[in-house]
Amino acid sequence: MLLLPAAAFAQAKNPFAADAKAIEAARGSFRIYCSPCHGIQAEGGRGPDLTMGRYSVGDEDAALFRVISEGAQGTEMPDFDLRLGSDQIWRLVAYIRSVATRSPPKLEGDRREGEKLFWAKGACGQCHRVDARGGRMGPDLTLAGRQRSLAYLRQSIVDPNAELTAGSNTVIVTLRDGRKISGVQRGFDGFSAQLLDVSDNFHSYFRSDVASIERQFRSLMPDNYGKLFAHRQVDDLLAYLVSLRGGSQP
Amino acid sequence: MRAHRTRPRPRLIQKTPAPRSVVRVYCKVVLCLASIAGLLPAAGPVDEKTLRTAQSDPAAWLMYGRNYAGWRYSDLAQIGAANVARLAPQWMFQTGVTGKFETTPLVHDGLMYITAPSNHAYALDLATGRAMWHYSKPVPRGVNVCCGQVNRGFALLGDTLYKVNLEATLVALDSKTGMKLWETPIDDYRRGYSATVAPLAVKNLVIVGIAGAEFGTRGFLDAYDATSGKRVWRFWTVAGPGDPGANSWGGDSWQRGGGSTWITGTYDPDLNLIYWGTGNPGPDFDGDVRPGDNLYTCALIAVDADTGRLKWHYQFTPHDVHDWDATSDPVLLDLTQNGRPVKAVVMANRNGFYYALDRVTGRLLTAKSYTQVSWADGIGPDGRPILISGQDPTETGNKSCPGIGGGHNWQATTFSPQTGLYYFPTTNGCQLYFKTQQEYVDGLWYQASTTHGFPNDPSTGSIVAVEPASGRIRWRYELVSSASSGLLATAGGLIFSGDREGYLFALDARTGKPLWKFQTGGVVIAPPISYQFRGKQYIAVAAGSAMIAFALP
Repeated sequence: MLLLPAAAFAQAKNPFAADAKAIEAARGSFRIYCSPCHGIQAEGGRGPDLTMGRYSVGDEDAALFRVISEGAQGTEMPDFDLRLGSDQIWRLVAYIRSVATRSPPKLEGDRREGEKLFWAKGACGQCHRVDARGGRMGPDLTLAGRQRSLAYLRQSIVDPNAELTAGSNTVIVTLRDGRKISGVQRGFDGFSAQLLDVSDNFHSYFRSDVASIERQFRSLMPDNYGKLFAHRQVDDLLAYLVSLRGGSQP
Repeated sequence: MRAHRTRPRPRLIQKTPAPRSVVRVYCKVVLCLASIAGLLPAAGPVDEKTLRTAQSDPAAWLMYGRNYAGWRYSDLAQIGAANVARLAPQWMFQTGVTGKFETTPLVHDGLMYITAPSNHAYALDLATGRAMWHYSKPVPRGVNVCCGQVNRGFALLGDTLYKVNLEATLVALDSKTGMKLWETPIDDYRRGYSATVAPLAVKNLVIVGIAGAEFGTRGFLDAYDATSGKRVWRFWTVAGPGDPGANSWGGDSWQRGGGSTWITGTYDPDLNLIYWGTGNPGPDFDGDVRPGDNLYTCALIAVDADTGRLKWHYQFTPHDVHDWDATSDPVLLDLTQNGRPVKAVVMANRNGFYYALDRVTGRLLTAKSYTQVSWADGIGPDGRPILISGQDPTETGNKSCPGIGGGHNWQATTFSPQTGLYYFPTTNGCQLYFKTQQEYVDGLWYQASTTHGFPNDPSTGSIVAVEPASGRIRWRYELVSSASSGLLATAGGLIFSGDREGYLFALDARTGKPLWKFQTGGVVIAPPISYQFRGKQYIAVAAGSAMIAFALP
């Protein structure tokens, strides 16, 4: 049997637009499939805020249908085509429309100032990459403006330990001679750990060969940017991060 | 395809002239020795008696739980604490099928029979791991599943293999060719039903459970005639009008009451009772629409094998609102309590408590928590949980422990008669439980909200060894993530299991000390098994998309 993706049947018009029963049914599906990233009320989190009626993939119903169906390349947004099928995806589009009741927050910051701060005084580029430039330890921010909600980005700057990006834990290995090696987690299991240290060195240890391996649910990112930077500077930085959308990439 | 001998060779023995009775004894002894030495394949069609005595043939693995009691204990002892460090892979079979690989392989007569996700199945040559046949059937579009297009294995009776297909059908395959003999619908997948369970062959019946409690279905346990595929009986796990327990459902909520039966049960031939766990009531998190205890969800049922009539039930979690299915293995053990022998059935329940029940009457013998539990302060003498208030899901999210996966989920457990201990994997953690009012729409998710974890405080796991009569934990082996794989105990004094990070490992059954590990390269979800082939003990497990067999060099 030839399985055509649901997108192949995509139509411009949502058959469930403003259908109260469909919206109600999709609320349940949204909570199961979407809320872990987009928030229980679609208010955003690790994933974008969907309550403002503006979407990075385009504002038409067909664009929303396509991104749910096919996923968003380069982000954590998976494809739901096979799991949900077109009717359920259209119902979700109707639900997402129904919660778009808020106005986009005004960003007071200056993007250019934020960019300067990112690469100079803030030294964010030591650990974070934007396109081909920057460090390797922290999460890649090339698509940060598309991937994350504004609230999540702000929290990540002022309180980086509040909700760690998956795999950004700190691992501390104590060798048998007492030396400690710490870095960001690249692997962690019952028998071994792998980490990248601040000098970009990769390490791999078996538990049986060292004194201890400890995983900490905190980031190696300094947690004092909220104090180092004035409120205005944080806004500048946010304006820069929100502008990072991967250029013309899909 | 190489030929596989289907019968032993009695003629070799009968050449010796001797009185008939002596021949019979000699015959038995030689065959028995030959079988133990693995010189002859475990042979011939598998009949009712073979299944009853499955434990006595260490070369084979004939049913989901290895024996009817669900022990998953192998009497093979070639691989032990002294040499397990040298255990190494002998072959690997790549299915190429993505999705969670949960099968318990069956081993009989030179072949290994496995099921894979999305309606695939294979017979593998025990010498090389090469596929002798491949069965597959496209999954129809529109089959709703909560947790992947999984399948947990075959049942074997005669020369016929039985498996369920995802779209809620039961199919019978010729074990020599993989050709379909018949396929019968269990129920309608368009109404939310699906099937993932490994069937259980009892007498001339094939016992089959169902899945779909997240989609507004009404659960049941079915028995089918092994020859014709016709349904012989059905026990509804959600009491309807006129059934005992019907008053435990408000209004017409029983129609969408859930109570799936997605993990294989056990069977006591002497009592002629089948023991089977039942899943969560539906909708999972909004209990307001289904006031009452919601019988027989989140319960263990004991039904007559011939008629499907309920002998007794024990409900672990009355009116569950946390999706804590009671679908863990119900394992049959003969215990001593207060100096008296008692036929027991034990279960490490998803709700965080370990239970031992009298399997004749269903009376509670012991209940003890084995992980972090916030919802109940123990189980009262009346057998009901002593509830702690404020633990139900809310619109904005309420923290409760265990999390949605429970303290112990479906992962296979094991009992070692050598140590007298019962072993199971556990998960330790909590989650935020959300509820919402949700109108039921035919065929769509009917869970009435969801759960979220805590990114900075993820669940961890362990493997525990429990004294079955008291529930006291003898040792605990810590895992860095929640439990993923089932367990196997062997007479070599070992416990085998796997983890989410891809390791298959062996622990000392008495102490929990790790003795061996192998990185399989894929998550280990399935339980390992053990069998003997050409005189050698093997350990086999499904990991990632591959089946891997291990032996000593």
